[in-house]
Amino acid sequence: MATTVPREGQTYVKRLELIWAPRPGLLGWLTTTDHKRIGILYFFTSLLMFGAGGVEALLMRTQLLGPHSHVISPRVYDEMFTMHGITMIFLFVIPMTTGAFGNYLLPLMIGARDMAFPRMNAVSYWIYLCSAIFMYISLAGGHAPNAGWFDYVPLASKRFDPGVNIDFYGFGLIFNSLSSTAAAINFIVTIFKMRAPGMSLNRMPLFCYAFLAASFALLFALPALSLAALFLELDRNLGFHFYDPAHGGSVLLWQNLFWIFGHPEVYIIILPAFGIATSIIPTLTHRRMVLFPLVALAEVMVAFLGFGVWAHHMFTVGLPTSATIYFAAASLIIVIPSAIQLFAWIATILTGKPDFKTPLLFIVGFIIYFILGGLSGITLAAIPFDQQVHDSYYVIAHFHMVIFGAAVFPILGGMYYWFPKVTGRMYSERAGKASFWLTFLGTLVTFFPMHILGLLGMPRRNYTYPAHMGWTLMNFIESIGAYMLAAGLLMIVLNLLISLVFGQETDDPFHGDTLEWSTSSPPAPYNFVVIPTVTTPYGMYDTEDRRRDNKRLARGEGLLDEGHETPMTTAQDADLVEILEMPPHSIWPPVCALLLAGMFAMLLLVHYWIAGAFLVLAGMALLAWHSHEEQA
Amino acid sequence: MSSPELSGGGAQRIARTLGRADPRHSAPSGVWGMALFLCAEVALFGTIIGSYFYLESVDRSWPPHGVEKPEVLLPVLATAYLLLTLLPIHLAARASRRGRRGRTVAAIAVGLAAQCGYLAWQILLFSSDLHKFSPRQSAYGSVYFTMLAVHHAHVLLGLALDLALISQLLAKGLTRYWLIAVRNLALYWYVVGALAVCVLFTQISPSL
Amino acid sequence: MACALLICGCGSPQSMFRSASKQSHDIDLLWWWMLGAAALVFFGALALLGIAWIRRDTPGLPFFGERESVAELMVLAFGIAIPVVALVALFGVSDIYLIGESSPPDPRKTAMTIHVIGHQWWWEVKYPGTGVVTANEIHLPVKTRVNVVVTTVDVIHSLWVPALARKVDTIPGAHNRILFDVGRVGVYRGQCSQYCGLEHADMALKVVVQTRAAYRSWLNGQQRPAPATATPLQAAGRNVFMNSQCASCHTIGGTSARGAIGPNLTHVGSRTSIAADTLANTPANLAAWIRDPQAIKPGVLMPDLGLSKPKVRELTAYLESLR
Ligand code: HEA
Ligand code: HEA
Ligand code: HEC
Ligand code: CUA
Ligand SMILES: [Cu+2]
Repeated sequence: MATTVPREGQTYVKRLELIWAPRPGLLGWLTTTDHKRIGILYFFTSLLMFGAGGVEALLMRTQLLGPHSHVISPRVYDEMFTMHGITMIFLFVIPMTTGAFGNYLLPLMIGARDMAFPRMNAVSYWIYLCSAIFMYISLAGGHAPNAGWFDYVPLASKRFDPGVNIDFYGFGLIFNSLSSTAAAINFIVTIFKMRAPGMSLNRMPLFCYAFLAASFALLFALPALSLAALFLELDRNLGFHFYDPAHGGSVLLWQNLFWIFGHPEVYIIILPAFGIATSIIPTLTHRRMVLFPLVALAEVMVAFLGFGVWAHHMFTVGLPTSATIYFAAASLIIVIPSAIQLFAWIATILTGKPDFKTPLLFIVGFIIYFILGGLSGITLAAIPFDQQVHDSYYVIAHFHMVIFGAAVFPILGGMYYWFPKVTGRMYSERAGKASFWLTFLGTLVTFFPMHILGLLGMPRRNYTYPAHMGWTLMNFIESIGAYMLAAGLLMIVLNLLISLVFGQETDDPFHGDTLEWSTSSPPAPYNFVVIPTVTTPYGMYDTEDRRRDNKRLARGEGLLDEGHETPMTTAQDADLVEILEMPPHSIWPPVCALLLAGMFAMLLLVHYWIAGAFLVLAGMALLAWHSHEEQA
Repeated sequence: MSSPELSGGGAQRIARTLGRADPRHSAPSGVWGMALFLCAEVALFGTIIGSYFYLESVDRSWPPHGVEKPEVLLPVLATAYLLLTLLPIHLAARASRRGRRGRTVAAIAVGLAAQCGYLAWQILLFSSDLHKFSPRQSAYGSVYFTMLAVHHAHVLLGLALDLALISQLLAKGLTRYWLIAVRNLALYWYVVGALAVCVLFTQISPSL
Repeated sequence: MACALLICGCGSPQSMFRSASKQSHDIDLLWWWMLGAAALVFFGALALLGIAWIRRDTPGLPFFGERESVAELMVLAFGIAIPVVALVALFGVSDIYLIGESSPPDPRKTAMTIHVIGHQWWWEVKYPGTGVVTANEIHLPVKTRVNVVVTTVDVIHSLWVPALARKVDTIPGAHNRILFDVGRVGVYRGQCSQYCGLEHADMALKVVVQTRAAYRSWLNGQQRPAPATATPLQAAGRNVFMNSQCASCHTIGGTSARGAIGPNLTHVGSRTSIAADTLANTPANLAAWIRDPQAIKPGVLMPDLGLSKPKVRELTAYLESLR
């Protein structure tokens, strides 16, 4: 139940309102450093990207609806699946989970008033936006990346792809990874340093563990991708030979570097989904998570082990058998932490009193698809079988089950779950349930037949297929499923948009058990009137804590109403260390992002000196940003 | 740390109800941020060095025919010199902790000058290498020069940080904010030093 | 699902269930076992969720009540104990035992070697020691261990004939190997399965497995140079071929055509398909191909040469005669 501010507290609230008042209008959004506003920006941008990736998917499905069709040309088809992969992975899921959900909820869940580095948070968003625009300019110009999302050399080398298509990919991903790296650092520091006094690590919600693990994985995985892309651009534009076997290079160097990033990446995609699931399940089953510490450990283990399995994407390239066996073993070991979490969720639902509202339905869908996709993942770790179905639709089926079924479903469930929190209004439960069934069945109809197609020998990335191959029926079913899916997703978006205006006003419809529910919905710019204190893992369950908070409010203690302030605590026990002054707003983050965009554009156009000038300007903007002295 | 700015008034305001830890045992979030950034840097250099040895394992002649084995003495001396330049930075961090702005600035300035010399020296070595063989001839050349260039860019960023800090310390004084920045600067340079040693050993490995 | 698989499997020339080698058959068997185990796990978990739904208004478990230790034990048993056993078993069977079969063969224990070379977007096949070079159609004797060496002249492709063996990538600068050891006479379709550019979808091939005698006579035929022209039409076609750009890209054994960019056409008439199994090899298709390859395989590296209709007819007649 959200705190109601006692009358004695109202004067303090007025003061906080004044101190934290956002700037009005567009300028307010442009210069904002408020994690909630940045989260909302992230949300709508990545939703738009989801739409773009979805349209690309629908175009592909329409082309594959029947054999020998000519809806789009092979050239366009290649750009479509490449952009679909890049968009969904880099421009939708990662920004949606870390950017939107993480940004909005994490500070609220740990009782902070903002992220540790609010301006860096803003710059993460602006860089993300610029990199998305950067990559989509290529599509608009008809030169979109076209060598697949893992962009294998030598197909991606200058010799076989002379246009700028691949340069958009290379520079776009380096640009984009700046944003993700900054965001990852920000999350880690926020989680370690900004928790409410008393929220020691063992009292931290599982959601935060998931984001912590994902952020660490991002931090260590991204350099491999950036470096691989740097090597690629050096090869392409300056005639270097990293990937050229004729001059001592190696095409497998690219594959190794890409998957050293790429496999951790897929767990980065799923971990926030785990976090969302572990938030929704306890609330809607009215009990605590079974084996909380083990689940926290498992979340961290998944991220950690994810760095040791990359070559399971390379079982057919001719690695020594001993090496493939090692990677297969590692891929099997990683099943254990996943299984622990899975059965902890199931046990929680089983032993609780589950209230199958829309968010929980999506979580149940997630569990089902995670089992399906996980089990097909296990079969892929069986080397001889993988060598059969590698690069066939079986793999497409595996990863859409885990990515769409298991990573996107919690995102959709989370949209419903936190919608009242963010807007103060309730979505329509009936439309919500209907949209669940439509997406659930749509997913099954779209992606399940892909397993069969793979076993029947259909390779992936085929712009068409002959009629006599026995693939026509399955492809037809899949395409119909994709349209169902689109309808279901549209229904979700419409439900939320309509409820935004007409929904019933509400404050805390689910009686959530984490701190974000202890404040008003939508939260005030300062999040909490009084800095919350925590003595149990379940902030809201412990009404004693909240009562104490209210008493402090009545006495005017712990308000931090002398400036734009938030407490900083110790990393482990969350003892209060000091009070930080936070930067209220800044124009420099968007300026910096824009200058960096200029630099990457100039690199693309091979004007290296101008690119250097942009870099210097960006450095100066960074200096200007820091010359306004606050914590950051 | 005993800087006067460190204990903000707010802490006292709520310390009564919340209890309070000793700030000496807890690095400020700025330092955490820098440490994590450096983690990413270490991962980046680790990956470059890994790529170097991966390519070496693929290529039968390393360095390729017609390319001399790398020189040992000068790079070792240059790296040793770089490690020496960490001393003024270290002293700057110490002086800043004692609240002595003048000394801090002076020490950073000395460090800056010395490191400029280092970078100039390295650039000379780099271009003399470029005269001997080119990154466009072989994968060896590509990874050799790229690794060194990234390392030098890393040093260059450090120089920019030196310069920025000097200017801000002169303009703003040794406030809490810039005190943390000096600490971060030192951290940055220590890691540059450690990475320089790793890069050095990779660079000269064919001659060992 | 199993039924769906069986029904479709029969109508699908490229299905991995039409296995015709021990290797492929064992992989099939592995698949069915994995499917069975996975179905057990899946429906078991589904049953738990079903129970959760039925008992949504009562906390705790049936029989065991609300004791937390039972729920925890359940996580440990299903989440750790059972998976460990299942995974160790799977690892042993697939990654220790079966892997031997899909590993590169020991060349001393194979009866013959062939080279398969990936090109954008067709397959070149060479029979070392015989001088035979063909394209998109591999002929093999039945029940013979064949060492298949794959490489590429351009980008990465992947040789995949699901009924015969695992797939293997063609890596620039490397020579990967797999074993073909086919137990049954027949024609097996395969396809490039690593994305290799525009026409990746139309880069298929056929493996024709014959009795040893039939294979030997095929090989003998292929070793001969191209037959002489028999009709004036064919002779005219030959003339066009040698004097237009065709000869700069294609080789015809025994003639002056020595191009190395496109498939070897010495015995193109004997092949059952053209353009990497995109079209059946009929005179009409061949003519259509020569007239405008770009219309059939957009982006293909053979240009549209804008030949007149009579010339195309002559060329077709000539190429059809190369058996
Ligand atoms: C969200 C993303 C995600 C997740 C979570 C996973 C999870 C797993 N993946 Fe997947 N994978 C991808 C995304 C993901 N994958 C992508 C995008 C690709 C392809 C990229 C491309 O080529 O474009 C891919 C490809 C891929 C391959 C390479 C296939 C190929 O190209 O040939 C392999 C091979 O080993 C693999 C394995 C696994 C395994 C073992 C898991 C495990 O972590 C799964 C663990 C979970 C479970 C097992 C389910 C729950 C547990 C139980 C039900 C307990 C009971 C179990 C037993 C009794 C055994 N994946
Ligand atoms: C997060 C990752 C993700 C997600 C969510 C999806 C979602 C979908 N994907 Fe896929 N996909 C990949 C990641 C993903 N994909 C990757 C990495 C590849 C490999 C690429 C490669 O080979 O290089 C791939 C490849 C791939 C292929 C194989 C192409 C080929 O190999 O030839 C296909 C084919 O059917 C496909 C289909 C789909 C479909 C139908 C969806 C559907 O689920 C999409 C449904 C979504 C919508 C219909 C959007 C609805 C719109 C809204 C909700 C927003 C509206 C709001 C506003 C506009 C404000 N995808
Ligand atoms: C620029 C090079 C080039 C020229 C000129 C060229 N071809 Fe081709 N040809 C190719 C390539 C490459 C292929 C393989 C196409 C594929 O399947 O992807 C091919 C395929 C063929 C095939 C099918 C072979 C098979 O077994 O699949 C025939 C027949 C053929 N060409 C005939 C001709 C004739 C006749 C001419 C002259 C009129 C000609 N080609 C000119 C490059 C060329
Ligand atoms: Cu060759 Cu795909
Ligand atoms: Cu993986």
